[in-house]
Amino acid sequence: MTENKNRCVITGLGMVCAIGNSVDETWNNALKGVSGIKNTKTVDIEGCYATLAAEVHDNTLDECPHADEMDRVSKLCVKAAKEALADAAYTIPEDEKKRVSVIMGSCVGGVNSVEAYYRNGEKAEDVTKMPISAIANEVAYVYGADGVVTNIANACAAGTISIAYACDLIRAGKCDVAIAGGADAFASVPYAGFLSLHALAENGCSPFNHCDGITLGEGSGVLIVESYEHAVARGAKIYCEVLGSGVSSDAHHITAPREDGEGQMNAIRWGMKASGVDESEIGYINAHGTGTAKNDMAEFLSLHTIFDDKNDNLSVSSTKAMVGHCLGAAGSIEAVFSIKALTENMVPPTVGYSDEDIENLKEKAGKIDFRPNEPKEKKLDTVMSNSFAFGGNNASIIFSKNAGNVELPEKEKVYITGLGVVAPCGNGVENYVEKFNADVKPESTSVASAVGSADYAACGLKMAFYRKLDKFSQLQAVSGMNAIQNAGLTISDDNAKDIGIAVGTAAGPLATICHFQKDLIEGGNVAGSAFKFPNTVYNAAGGYLSICSGIKGYNVTVTNGAQSGLSSIAYGVEVLRQGKNKVMLATGTDENCDTMTELYGKLGKVATEVDGAYSGMTGYVLGDGSTTLVLETASSVKERGVKPYAEVAGYGMSHEAVAFGKLEGSEAALVEAVKLAAEDAGMKLGDIDAIVGFGNGDAVTDSLELDAYKKLFGDKLSELPVFTVKDTTGEGRAASAALSAGHAALLLSDKYEVAGRAYKLDGEKMVQTTVDTKTLKNVLVTSYGLGGSYCAVIIKK
Amino acid sequence: MNEQEIREKIKELLIDSLGIEAEVLTDDVPLFGDGIGLDSIDSLEMIAAIDKEFGVSMTGVGKEPFYNVASLAKYVAEHK
Repeated sequence: MTENKNRCVITGLGMVCAIGNSVDETWNNALKGVSGIKNTKTVDIEGCYATLAAEVHDNTLDECPHADEMDRVSKLCVKAAKEALADAAYTIPEDEKKRVSVIMGSCVGGVNSVEAYYRNGEKAEDVTKMPISAIANEVAYVYGADGVVTNIANACAAGTISIAYACDLIRAGKCDVAIAGGADAFASVPYAGFLSLHALAENGCSPFNHCDGITLGEGSGVLIVESYEHAVARGAKIYCEVLGSGVSSDAHHITAPREDGEGQMNAIRWGMKASGVDESEIGYINAHGTGTAKNDMAEFLSLHTIFDDKNDNLSVSSTKAMVGHCLGAAGSIEAVFSIKALTENMVPPTVGYSDEDIENLKEKAGKIDFRPNEPKEKKLDTVMSNSFAFGGNNASIIFSKNAGNVELPEKEKVYITGLGVVAPCGNGVENYVEKFNADVKPESTSVASAVGSADYAACGLKMAFYRKLDKFSQLQAVSGMNAIQNAGLTISDDNAKDIGIAVGTAAGPLATICHFQKDLIEGGNVAGSAFKFPNTVYNAAGGYLSICSGIKGYNVTVTNGAQSGLSSIAYGVEVLRQGKNKVMLATGTDENCDTMTELYGKLGKVATEVDGAYSGMTGYVLGDGSTTLVLETASSVKERGVKPYAEVAGYGMSHEAVAFGKLEGSEAALVEAVKLAAEDAGMKLGDIDAIVGFGNGDAVTDSLELDAYKKLFGDKLSELPVFTVKDTTGEGRAASAALSAGHAALLLSDKYEVAGRAYKLDGEKMVQTTVDTKTLKNVLVTSYGLGGSYCAVIIKK
Repeated sequence: MNEQEIREKIKELLIDSLGIEAEVLTDDVPLFGDGIGLDSIDSLEMIAAIDKEFGVSMTGVGKEPFYNVASLAKYVAEHK
């Protein structure tokens, strides 16, 4: 049985969707088979062949603090979080704030604010509402959570992966409580996008039945995930246990699932393995069941292959027939349905079957009870919820009345064995080192990376593949493939499932989203481009990387500001420590282009002249790029006989909620993140002998960073060299954060000669100096995210 | 617009909307082969672009006219 310290339980539920503005209302309607699918009146439908959507009707969404600063998606999430916290009878005490995390999934984030930006005079106030990053920050701000705050952007699997990650963090001892779930709002971008793909059902989605397309929904599901020990200590009501999860990549196609169901089956099997349960123990599955022919056929095949002959008592349904496909919220809403099913001993139905349909279902269903139209009372002990997303991302999670058999392996050391760099100063690790050593400066206040045919040829990518990618995905594909080569890693059928991807990004494909939105404003929602739409999804880059590399293991896209490029490393380390994979590609990727320069310019972030870190500018040189680090367990390093650059000794993440878009007043969280990283690495602060910081020249950012270092290191700070990659690349956000870790690895390795150019505190000023890097042993790497999130990683020789 | 002009216009559309590199897009290179590798999503995009540019609907049309730029131009010229 799972040891108490590894048990995670659900103590609160919150939900808002098309059939209810609370869990109870939704559940009661679900048992009555109420469908929330109606003709939409909120988006342009002229000339569109499908006009249905499952929208939320809740006139209380604005009744939360500073609602005017939030996109609809954040309001939906804040509302569901309110219900979940109340249900858990948990008001976060001041002394527990640092132990409470917020992990939220989303697919399209604040796209309604992208539309508002272009329709209402391109105002700065809409810009901070656009990114997915805002969602978890808003929840943390409203409810006072200061633990790990981040968002999972894996499209339709995001809501499931966020709950899975919340459990991973709790089991790793990183927090006691996580407010986890997902949210997405109905908007023109996903509507026109799925329309362009001809993926919307004209008459409403009909999962496992007519299978002629999806109907979009919207909403949010939020769960209070808590360590068993914390829940018991505070006398909380416990709904159920969250056992293990499985996350996989298809390595197949950016929008279509594998027809052979391999990726889906991997996620399901890994979920059961991690839970220590077998096929016969699952009583109910809340299926992905989107209602597209490709998904449903693959899912029928996956479920029959895994469960036929092993489970004669399995019920399956898709609640999407009632609430629509809520994209990044789907997994979290369906988790709530699964938990209600489990605790009420009641299987919710898939609605919309005629008598004839029920007859037709019999053959496709076999011995599995694909519960049509009516709910069924059934004693349930263990249930599963599956989500299969765009980008070939699959996730499966298991909830149970029993503690299961979750076992964590002995924690292995994690090493950096490969690096891939795409930067405005050029591509490749060697080129980066050369440009850094020569102290090459950005050519202007807005610089961008370029990838071309030579880069693609060098990593074996063909035009038939790369022509489909937007710039964001191209940067990631090239840096990812470079890193794989740099690590001497060959991906084959033998190891593909042991290798995963954690992409970090601040803004994801926001430029592509803006371009797509502008086309819709010009030509109506009928004018969505089927070619561009798949690239509007944040996890497209991770999906393409899986396709071109053949990677079939974990796949996550994590987004919360610039520090996403470090928190992806923290994520990767946790995946490896918990034995889910042997190798993880951890990346930071962000793009710059005219659109991004305009958006960052609106926020006053782009400097007026080129200058370096700690120069006291207003704003910074806006850059971009992609950095990929190959992280590998000690046993895999040994098995492959490779020489690592350095070890990732530990990580820490913390948050001090300030308004999203701001940093001022949050330095305590940077202090905390560094302390946590040292603790995780088993070190004292005094063991740190250099820092690769996040100085970018912007006075607000740089002075906050220095204040935190002064608090941490006191007088010793003047002896600590502080390196920055941004004098060379500009503020590449997540790309720079990951490159900072890469830079630390380069400093500690003897693979390349890296110049010892750094800053040191002299009195109150940072001055440039040259240090001997040969003596460095432990290098601290830091990064920040607007809204007050920080990540610190310690790289060890 | 004669058939040669239609070919040039179609090439422009394909380069702009499907990320194809100009130097490989000849009149007779197979569009759905290994080199360019168009797929079903691309054909939706191509159909939308041709409809917008020439007012010719190719929805539900068989595979043959989609073979290469020349066959697309021929179909457009015949149905314009």
